[in-house]
Amino acid sequence: MVLIIKDEYPEKLFREDGKRLDGRDKTELRPLKMEVGVIENADGSAYLEWGNNKIFAAVYGPREVHPHHLAKPDRGILRVFYRMATYSVFDRKRPAPGRREKEISMIISDCIEPVLFLELYPGTAFEVFIEVIDADGGTRCASTTVASLALADAGVPMKSLVTSVAIGKIDGEIVVDLSGIEDKAGEADLPLAITWFNGEISLLQFDGAMDVEEFNKCLTLGKEAAEKIYQIQLDALRKKYISIQESVSGSSNASGGEE
Amino acid sequence: MMDVKRVISTIERKYIINNLKKEERVDGRGLWEYRDFKIDTDMVASAEGSADVSLGETRIITGLKYDVGEPFPDLPNEGVCTIMAELLPLASPLFERGPPDEQSIELARVVDRGIRHADCVQTKKLCIKEKEAVYILFVDMYVINYAGNLIDCGGVSTLASLVSAHIPEGEYTENGIEWTGNYLTGEDIVNELPLVLTYGKIEDIIFSDPNLPEELVCDGKISVSVTEDKITSIQKSGAATFSLDEIRMLGKKSIEIGRELRNKLNFWQYKVKIE
Repeated sequence: MVLIIKDEYPEKLFREDGKRLDGRDKTELRPLKMEVGVIENADGSAYLEWGNNKIFAAVYGPREVHPHHLAKPDRGILRVFYRMATYSVFDRKRPAPGRREKEISMIISDCIEPVLFLELYPGTAFEVFIEVIDADGGTRCASTTVASLALADAGVPMKSLVTSVAIGKIDGEIVVDLSGIEDKAGEADLPLAITWFNGEISLLQFDGAMDVEEFNKCLTLGKEAAEKIYQIQLDALRKKYISIQESVSGSSNASGGEE
Repeated sequence: MMDVKRVISTIERKYIINNLKKEERVDGRGLWEYRDFKIDTDMVASAEGSADVSLGETRIITGLKYDVGEPFPDLPNEGVCTIMAELLPLASPLFERGPPDEQSIELARVVDRGIRHADCVQTKKLCIKEKEAVYILFVDMYVINYAGNLIDCGGVSTLASLVSAHIPEGEYTENGIEWTGNYLTGEDIVNELPLVLTYGKIEDIIFSDPNLPEELVCDGKISVSVTEDKITSIQKSGAATFSLDEIRMLGKKSIEIGRELRNKLNFWQYKVKIE
């Protein structure tokens, strides 16, 4: 790949005024927007914009398992397929799925499985397709968050939603929600996800170097940040039903059926 | 959730055909009427051009990336533009995972031919130095929701992403290729605005822009690419046969519909302004 503009990292990740390069405080999240029911054909779907990340997720199922030998006679299976569009990154990505995409698909699947009642769906599969249209750091966290929202939109019985966020260390400071540049140029990256029915960690990866105190701080900040994101997920789900309710009550008003 | 089936029942098939005989469509359109286009461009920050196009419920997101490589020996001063399409399994229960199948290859090929033979992309402007370095453009279409007529939606999506292009301009120096600080925009690289128009045929009835149920019951389709006054490529697909008179009529009709759509969509509003 020969590109005319080179992908260069800045030397400092904090501005003179102590804020991060995109103007955020250390514990501030990037702007987040979520919407459910965006793909008409799917049983459930969700769309998320998190900073420059743009991600679609669609759920199909419970449906027949292909290839058939993957089906389990006593329970359903969850299959997650995380993919990135060729144009979602700085260097064009090859169209075929790579090792990274397969690994992320697996960790998202393992992360979400604890909240589902798969034992109620023997011999079937829930398939979650995640397509990253634009990527800017933290796509695995964003994908986990949007995938759990799509499952909820599909009406799949769940113990709770799952929320994910990355905490990291840049220029020696612990910060919440790494952007693409911070992820590449920073010192440490700790994506985590919380299953709210038990408040426990269901996805945890860590790359970098931190002392124990810093690590503990990360976990605390991670939980606080996840709580904020969880509220946005709940609002996105509510919004769909409020709009349905409004359209229904609107028509009953027209026919004089107001209470 | 929409009810998507691989096979349409006889009763639904008859309903669709009887409606068409009365010159009516199941979704209330006239025979030659298009569903509404909705276009948003340059929304993918990582791409050098992008478009999110909906044609009714069909939705395709297209992005443009570039690479610099050696030109083909027989065209030493021309860049290359390649078009790819992916039918994502998230877009429809009818799509399966895996390498590109016939349908996605046909989509990419028909759109590509429409663009290639219309003098649309100015490949000579994509040359940095003769025989040494040219731009290779990748236009990749991703189907987000499938509700019939991917080809027309893909054609508009591809064209809109090319119009919204902003590719860093390179200069050939002793130290390799360096950025001049300027960008090549859609205005520099796009000349003609070709549109590809697809018609479905059931028995002896022909109609524009088949939606999903119509596409599933129709005997065959024909896609005609047109510029302002020329036909530039045609693809007949499916098991239908067309009479010479029908093909003549479609050629003329395509130029008319093409002009109307081109005016309505007003592609140049999507060019990117760089300060």
